[in-house]
Amino acid sequence: MDIRFQEAEARFEGRTVLHALSLSLSERRIGVVGLNGSGKTTFARLINGLVKPASGRVTVNGFDTVADADKARGQTGFIFQNPQNQIILPVLREDIALGLQGRKLPKPEINALVDRVLSRLGILHLGERRAHELSGGELQLAALASVLVTEPPILIMDEPTNQLDLRNRRLVADTIEGLNEHVLVVSHDLDLIADFDRVLLFHEGRLVGDGLPAEVIARYRGIALP
Amino acid sequence: MKALYVEGGTFLHLMSPRLKLIGLCLSSLALFMIYQPVPLAFAAIASAMLYLSLRIGWRQSWVRMRMLGLTILVVALFTLVFNGWDEAAAVLFRLTALALAAAAVTATTTTGDFIDELTAAAYPLERLGLVRAADLGLAVGLVIRFLPEVLSRYDAIRDAHHARGFKPKPLTIAVPLLILTLKNADEIAAAIDARGIRRQK
Amino acid sequence: MTTRDLVLAALFTAIIVALGVVPPVMLGFIPVPITAQSLGVMLAGTVLGAKRGGFAVLLLLVLVAIGLPVLSGGRGGLAVFASPTAGYLVGFLFAAIVTGFLSERFVKRSQSGLMQTSAFFLAALAGGVVVDHALGVIYLGLVTGIGIPKAFIGDLAFIPGDVLKALIAALAARAVIVGYPLLPERGAERA
Repeated sequence: MDIRFQEAEARFEGRTVLHALSLSLSERRIGVVGLNGSGKTTFARLINGLVKPASGRVTVNGFDTVADADKARGQTGFIFQNPQNQIILPVLREDIALGLQGRKLPKPEINALVDRVLSRLGILHLGERRAHELSGGELQLAALASVLVTEPPILIMDEPTNQLDLRNRRLVADTIEGLNEHVLVVSHDLDLIADFDRVLLFHEGRLVGDGLPAEVIARYRGIALP
Repeated sequence: MKALYVEGGTFLHLMSPRLKLIGLCLSSLALFMIYQPVPLAFAAIASAMLYLSLRIGWRQSWVRMRMLGLTILVVALFTLVFNGWDEAAAVLFRLTALALAAAAVTATTTTGDFIDELTAAAYPLERLGLVRAADLGLAVGLVIRFLPEVLSRYDAIRDAHHARGFKPKPLTIAVPLLILTLKNADEIAAAIDARGIRRQK
Repeated sequence: MTTRDLVLAALFTAIIVALGVVPPVMLGFIPVPITAQSLGVMLAGTVLGAKRGGFAVLLLLVLVAIGLPVLSGGRGGLAVFASPTAGYLVGFLFAAIVTGFLSERFVKRSQSGLMQTSAFFLAALAGGVVVDHALGVIYLGLVTGIGIPKAFIGDLAFIPGDVLKALIAALAARAVIVGYPLLPERGAERA
């Protein structure tokens, strides 16, 4: 994995939400922390091209998120804060298959791929269920399945354990642990990222901490609870 | 939400959806070019036999057709009062024939088949740059997906009224329902774009 | 149409369907239950504007056509289009577009609340009452042979209810434009 920010800056409605940032990421498990409104979600969205840099550039495995938007996007899967809004077709199987429609595969092959991703996450039994019947933890796994089916090498998750009860949190945390993909997680759940390879700390639109979890989390506590 | 499709293996079920829709269009045109009550009565009987052959059951049929039946009856009575027997009978038989034939097509064609036909029909429009054919299926899916969410949001808003001792009024329900529902659009759209469904051209 | 426009329209269609499912609301001052679906059509125009509002209603008609019971009272299917009152249903599409166009043209963010509400009311009246009833009456008159004048007499009974809905749509649209503005402005920057 190779994510590079080159003097990338993001603005929203005339306000700079992320100041010019240069860094490169290649670790397998990366955590992103910061207060609400610190710019961490914008940072994550820049990688997926959901937010385009106002100046500078962002590349993912060599693809520019502006000039090569489709290819750059193909490198990353994005899982949103609210999995409710990520499942867009009524039946889970149909929704997961939707991500594959651009590949023009025959139906049995699509079904096999959907089955595979559902089994991988241990939710094969939920395939025929309707999205609005699923519980919070099931929805989070369903959202993950909808993204994993296209096999992106990098996964970006925005608050994956937000709103989950203890048991579901554990389920999702274990699932993330077991993923072979590169994972970048934005989270307030400090236990979740405690044994990650690298943690980034954002504050007021700037990167103010970058290193191993223990030191960065300590710094974050210092900023959040002075 | 349950579609009005009824499982079965009748020849209407097996017939190609396109053929059924074209047939329905042509027969409705024909019905409007006939003015004499007697041939229209035969058409109504033929439609009724077609509908009955699907074995939908009286109770289901009552639920499906009562509003439409009432409308046709009222219009026929209206015609009787103003224009006399001949025209009233023609209106009654023509509209009945049309309604039953249309209901028969609906009951024997799955939602998926309809969407496929619509998408195919929309391709010429796509070439003109008016719509994207694939959007139609996606949009229909979105409505069915989010309807239960809208309904439970409606219940929650109504409960919030009761909890605070207010009487629910159309305005105080509609406004939060609209804002809360439409605010999700950004995130849903971002999810669609992030997954690379619906490529921007 | 952007993905966001598509999603906004689809969510609005879901709202219109929901308004047909929920039990009719009684208004305090007249003893008539209000089925809210035609209110939803006026709201589509006033809240989303002509293009997205029109698409939302088109989507509703598509759902009806493909056999889903999305109209009030669980009606749906092609038979609904075979009804002598189908003009009102198809008229919904033009009602939403006209309401939306007029709202975009005459409602400005800079106006006072009263001005905005009045402009929304006139737009909803023009689309939801004048256009929809005109199309409904013409189709009813022609298809049944009773003639347009007589069809119009039958139509009169439904006008007061729809005028009231236009008023509710205007008040709601004004509240939404304050809370979550979505309506595009048309031809605004001339000064």
